[in-house]
Amino acid sequence: MSKAESSSRGVRSVVLRYGLAVVSVAIALGLALLAQFETIHKLEFPLFLMAVAITVWYAGGVPGVLAVGLSGLSFNYFFTEPRYTLYIEPADRPLFVAFLLFALMIAWFGSRRRRIEQELRQARDELETEVAERTQQASLLNLTNDTIFVRDMSDVITYWNRGAQELYGWRAEEAIGKRAHLLLQTVFPIPVDEIHGALLRAGRWEGELEKTRADGTQVVIAGRWSLQRDAQERPVAILETNNDITERKRTERQIRDLNADLEKRTTQLQATNKELEAFAYSVSHDLRAPLRHMVGYTELLQRNATSILDEKNRRYTVMILESAKRMGDLIDDLLAFSRIGRAEARETVVSLEQLVKEALHEVRPETNGRNIAWTIGALPDVSGDRSMLRLALVNLISNAIKFTRTRGQAAIEIGSTTRGDETIVFIKDNGVGFDMRYVNKLFGVFQRLHQAEAFEGTGIGLATVQRIISRHGGRVWAEGLVGEGASFYFAVPKSGRTGS
Amino acid sequence: MSQLGRILMAEDDPKDVELTLTALQEYNLANEVVVTRDGEEALDYLYCRGNFTTRTNDNPAVLLLDLKMPKVDGLEVLQQIKSDEKLRMIPVVVLTSSREERDMVASYRLGVNAYVVKPVDFHEFVNAIKELGVFWAVINEAPPGSMRRSS
Repeated sequence: MSKAESSSRGVRSVVLRYGLAVVSVAIALGLALLAQFETIHKLEFPLFLMAVAITVWYAGGVPGVLAVGLSGLSFNYFFTEPRYTLYIEPADRPLFVAFLLFALMIAWFGSRRRRIEQELRQARDELETEVAERTQQASLLNLTNDTIFVRDMSDVITYWNRGAQELYGWRAEEAIGKRAHLLLQTVFPIPVDEIHGALLRAGRWEGELEKTRADGTQVVIAGRWSLQRDAQERPVAILETNNDITERKRTERQIRDLNADLEKRTTQLQATNKELEAFAYSVSHDLRAPLRHMVGYTELLQRNATSILDEKNRRYTVMILESAKRMGDLIDDLLAFSRIGRAEARETVVSLEQLVKEALHEVRPETNGRNIAWTIGALPDVSGDRSMLRLALVNLISNAIKFTRTRGQAAIEIGSTTRGDETIVFIKDNGVGFDMRYVNKLFGVFQRLHQAEAFEGTGIGLATVQRIISRHGGRVWAEGLVGEGASFYFAVPKSGRTGS
Repeated sequence: MSQLGRILMAEDDPKDVELTLTALQEYNLANEVVVTRDGEEALDYLYCRGNFTTRTNDNPAVLLLDLKMPKVDGLEVLQQIKSDEKLRMIPVVVLTSSREERDMVASYRLGVNAYVVKPVDFHEFVNAIKELGVFWAVINEAPPGSMRRSS
């Protein structure tokens, strides 16, 4: 084959092909003449036929006809009586005709064979190209991480890519030839006939399927089926792409479970919140009334019995009133504190600068007769609940005013810094400060670090600040030194995050 | 102060009643107060039924209404009054211990004319009651059909 191929390539040009006809006939003639000289007769007939055959074989049909013509002329001229003329004796004519017919037959067969060979070669080349293309496609499909396999209409696997091997654990040579649904123990969400119906109608189908790996573990996959049809529109194969969604499914289920759990807890929390609200409501109504009565009657007593009460007893009534007043303050503060936990936070963009201005205005009565040097730095906008943040600032500033009371020249500084995605606000004073050993008690409800005679207060202010800031997703802390002043800080996320 | 309107008070706590009356006394307004001890009694008074069948059929100049009361509570009384064509013109002042926002919102939604939180401090309390009494019973022109009496 390879020799014929190289020869056919060698005699491709027209000159070479017709030259071959002339040369082969000339050689045949030469040999026949030589044989005749050596008195070997009747050799010319097969020699010319061989020349025709060689020409047809290597140079094709038309040069073959030329070879037949040349051979006929030579045969007639050199080997039929009378020699060296183109005349043929009647007795030799049948032989000459038989020679021509035989030569033409050889030429015809030869050229047919050549044509068939050419067609075959062309078909082979096309086939080779297609194989190369397919091989390239297959290796491209192998490159993807997706699981891809092809099965014919009787469900037999005909292609199996590397992704399929990785997902299911069978190598291509193990999987190809097997029935896909049996090998993978596919569990269909709907009857397989319905899937095939949809596939034949639309040419594709998508759905979630359960399959089993070589190691026996189950996987949930998102499957896409595409139908391949031949030139006559007959379905011939199904290309199936699988994506492993086991993990996603598991996560989804986990999220569902967590959500259900969360819902349950929310319900519980709502119930607790409701109870708390009922409690606060009851405190608000019922605890204040007797207090009011105590104060009312004591005042009436003071007014009506001033003449009969001596100094000591008058002091007792004052003590009763002071205690009642304090309890009233405690109840009010406690209710306000619990309201912060219950109220819905309304998040907006809040100008801290504006808020500090408002807070300073609100605490102005507390600064009467005081000498305070204020330093207010630049303050950014933050995102949060305006009224809550305002209350936090009022509490912190009010504290600073209160605890610098003993200073002839009080100094209070309000400012902010930025660290990462946090806005940090600080309020520094040169007041009495506190002992850092008790810093962790500072923000507790009803916790006080000073004696009531020195500084009044209910011990709820800083607890309120902490609750407000933690509802904003932030944190509070403080630094202090006895006699040297205190610094209070709160940090809130820039983006804002208020819990509801 | 030639004419005084009648003040209807709905208050279940006797101490609150006494303190309120004491406060009003200082301004000579106590005589014109009718005290009812729960919501039902207040409605009886307004509809002239129960113990009040014999009273004249005029409306009080103002109703001082406590919220937390037995049987029929203040908000129910308020709702009844404001949905009754004959009573809806009576000015109603809620006078309560509660600073709860939902009480306040509910009261205003029902059409209350004023909402006053009883101060713990007695001086403030007396001042509040006095101002209420003077405003509603003396300064404010009561709607037509309200009781008017010479002092």
